Amino acid sequence: MKTRILGFVALAAVVSAAIVGLFVVPPDLNQGDAQRIMYPHVASAWLAYLSFGVTAVGGVLWLWRRDLRFDAVALSGAEIGVMFTAFAIWGGMMWGRPVWGVFWQWEDPRLTTTALLLALYVGYLLLRRLTEDPERRATRAAIVGLVAAIDIPIVHFSVEWWRGLHQTATIASPERALDPAAPMVFVGTLMGTLAAFSLAWLYLMIRRYELARAELAREEEARRGRLRAVQAAAANLRSQEEAAR
Amino acid sequence: MNGLRTEARVAMAIARKDAVAELRGRHATVSTLFFAAVVLLLFGFALGPDARRLAEAAPGLLWLAIVFAGILAVNRLHLLETDDAALEQLALYPVARRAIYAGKALGGFAVMLVLGVVVLGAVGILFAVDIASAWLPLLSTVILGAMGIAAVGTFYAGVTVRMRAREVMLPLLVLPVLAPLLLGAVRATAAALAGDPFGELGAWLQLLVAFDLIMLMAGAATYGFLLED
Amino acid sequence: MTDAGFVIAAYGVILGGLALYTVTLWRRLRAAASRDDEGR
Repeated sequence: MKTRILGFVALAAVVSAAIVGLFVVPPDLNQGDAQRIMYPHVASAWLAYLSFGVTAVGGVLWLWRRDLRFDAVALSGAEIGVMFTAFAIWGGMMWGRPVWGVFWQWEDPRLTTTALLLALYVGYLLLRRLTEDPERRATRAAIVGLVAAIDIPIVHFSVEWWRGLHQTATIASPERALDPAAPMVFVGTLMGTLAAFSLAWLYLMIRRYELARAELAREEEARRGRLRAVQAAAANLRSQEEAAR
Repeated sequence: MNGLRTEARVAMAIARKDAVAELRGRHATVSTLFFAAVVLLLFGFALGPDARRLAEAAPGLLWLAIVFAGILAVNRLHLLETDDAALEQLALYPVARRAIYAGKALGGFAVMLVLGVVVLGAVGILFAVDIASAWLPLLSTVILGAMGIAAVGTFYAGVTVRMRAREVMLPLLVLPVLAPLLLGAVRATAAALAGDPFGELGAWLQLLVAFDLIMLMAGAATYGFLLED
Repeated sequence: MTDAGFVIAAYGVILGGLALYTVTLWRRLRAAASRDDEGR
């Protein structure tokens, strides 16, 4: 019930944030209307990183405490993180075309890092699908999730160096919206969108976790069912043998 | 101190076992070397025949060939262990798990090093790149790159070795993780070949060292969990 | 395409994607719950 209320609040928040971002806030002086894309883009990117952090922590907790609930949290984080990563990339591309003139800017460390993030965690989700045993799946996923999280800062660093050591022209950075010198309306809209998306994230995380628990219970039930069937067959065989004797 | 020495001995023994198995005709190295050669040849067809363009692309082609062939090699080395449940038996030995990881990574490193040096020579010949004048920085790059690929590859091969569709899953998982290594190694190679005009070679080698150390530590810390499952 | 087109494309996909994921999640949850009942 509480989750349902959270869902309604999140829906209202996201819708109003979108309305403010699209119609209320004035366009940016340099970037024009394209700047409006920054609000959901930055919020999505932030939630993607948060989700993958949750996945890494959930994995470590599973390895440590051996409680499958932590694995369910890790799975929820990865799936929702992949979704927000895709949103962030899409938003970045739609912003890049009018502002940079290209959809893809190889020298932007954020964009390239995010693309690799998507690859890393799609791999994580595939790995989970290909392992049946819940505990093995949890262990493998936890380790892959942990290494992926370790890899993210290295990727970011290396791309930043790649750009820095090559001395390319300064490009308009998506960070502009977070610039403290930016007018308060822009900062406020960004923060509002961030809060609204975070509420939606929390709601989805809770629901996804519930789903993971339900699926786990079903797997367990199926396993017990198979066990019972084998036992029944064995008992049947034994009684037949006795009857024959 | 004593425990550490035992672990080093265990690691060496495992690496030696892999090397002996390799020399006695498993041919993982030979087949992956041929694979790398074919990849280089295809790169030549894809980008050639303009010699200057090929020479410009040579660092990237070199490392793509090494990474692709390296994944095959590491996978082969781990497949050795699935025969006759050898990995399970290895896990039963009362030694530190990280020693087992170090041994497998060391074996992988040896194979990767041979692979890297041969592919480097092939690139020098096929794409008309002067590798002799910058042999020391190039060799350091190959050593560091080989170490990183072995560290990450060994550990991910441990994740996928008992999985369905592991031939697809291993590259799918490893390639994005290796992205910073690829970037650093390619830039270091390019800098070395150009005579390091911007003084960036050291920075890229440092990046490779950091990557290798972090991944080795992560692998050593978590490989034990994989043996248990 | 004008700037407005890109803005609409960005918002459309992100908000639409969120909605789609949420609805799919509800359906998966309901499917999981109904199968639970059958099991008992």
